[in-house]
Amino acid sequence: MESLKLNISGMARYRGREGQLSFILHRLAGLGTLLFLAIHIVDTATVYFFPSLYDHAIDIYRSTPFMIGEIILVFCIIYHGVNGVRIAIFDLFAPDRWNIETQRITAQWSLALAVILWLPAAYLMGRSLLVHNFGL
Amino acid sequence: MTTQTEQMRTNQVSPQGGYESWAWKWMRYSALLLIPLAWGHVLIQDVLVGVHSIDLDYVAMRWASLGWRVYDFLLLSFAFAHGVNGLRQVLNDYIRQDRTRRRVSWLLFLLWIVISLIGAAAIVGGVRVP
Repeated sequence: MESLKLNISGMARYRGREGQLSFILHRLAGLGTLLFLAIHIVDTATVYFFPSLYDHAIDIYRSTPFMIGEIILVFCIIYHGVNGVRIAIFDLFAPDRWNIETQRITAQWSLALAVILWLPAAYLMGRSLLVHNFGL
Repeated sequence: MTTQTEQMRTNQVSPQGGYESWAWKWMRYSALLLIPLAWGHVLIQDVLVGVHSIDLDYVAMRWASLGWRVYDFLLLSFAFAHGVNGLRQVLNDYIRQDRTRRRVSWLLFLLWIVISLIGAAAIVGGVRVP
């Protein structure tokens, strides 16, 4: 607990700019996706174990807060993927390019690319939310 | 500072190998595989089909084809293992004691096995009519 407190206060004070921001975003996006994935595996498994419960589980996902959460989840998956490929490419194929200048630029590009890929998905999902839950 | 960085760059040491080295590589290779698997799944189910069109019949229809079952099985095994190992790496940054680390790792391993088996059973067993 003590180290966690130290870590959070350190994160707020440390000025790591793009590198630190992408590190935090990458972890939060990954952990958020994992939390959803664990729940999603179990609720989908009801089709075999308790089929009568499946429609109830899907009803929860159709509610407005969960559909907004779904739009955020899609951003997390896209960003974690783009930034993860960036890390994997440098680690596996160009480890000598791990320098501040290159990382700053590529971290900015991965966030920009993630937003660009997310916008059309967010538009379609947002429209579906308005059509189904607000009678648009 | 710059000279220090240069020094680090030239004095490269090769990793010792072993489990952690293997896990580190595996996280990166599985990531490259998860891009088509996870993004494809999200694009089809969340963006194009949408949660309002998904019900028991939809899942039954999808799992009627063996290809989609294999796809879902690959997604389940790679995504969840990647995620739980990622959680382990994050927790290891905050846990100082080796004993606690070992306990947490076992706990995560059990969680991974149990949830993976639940998911795998559903994919193999398929949709049952209520």
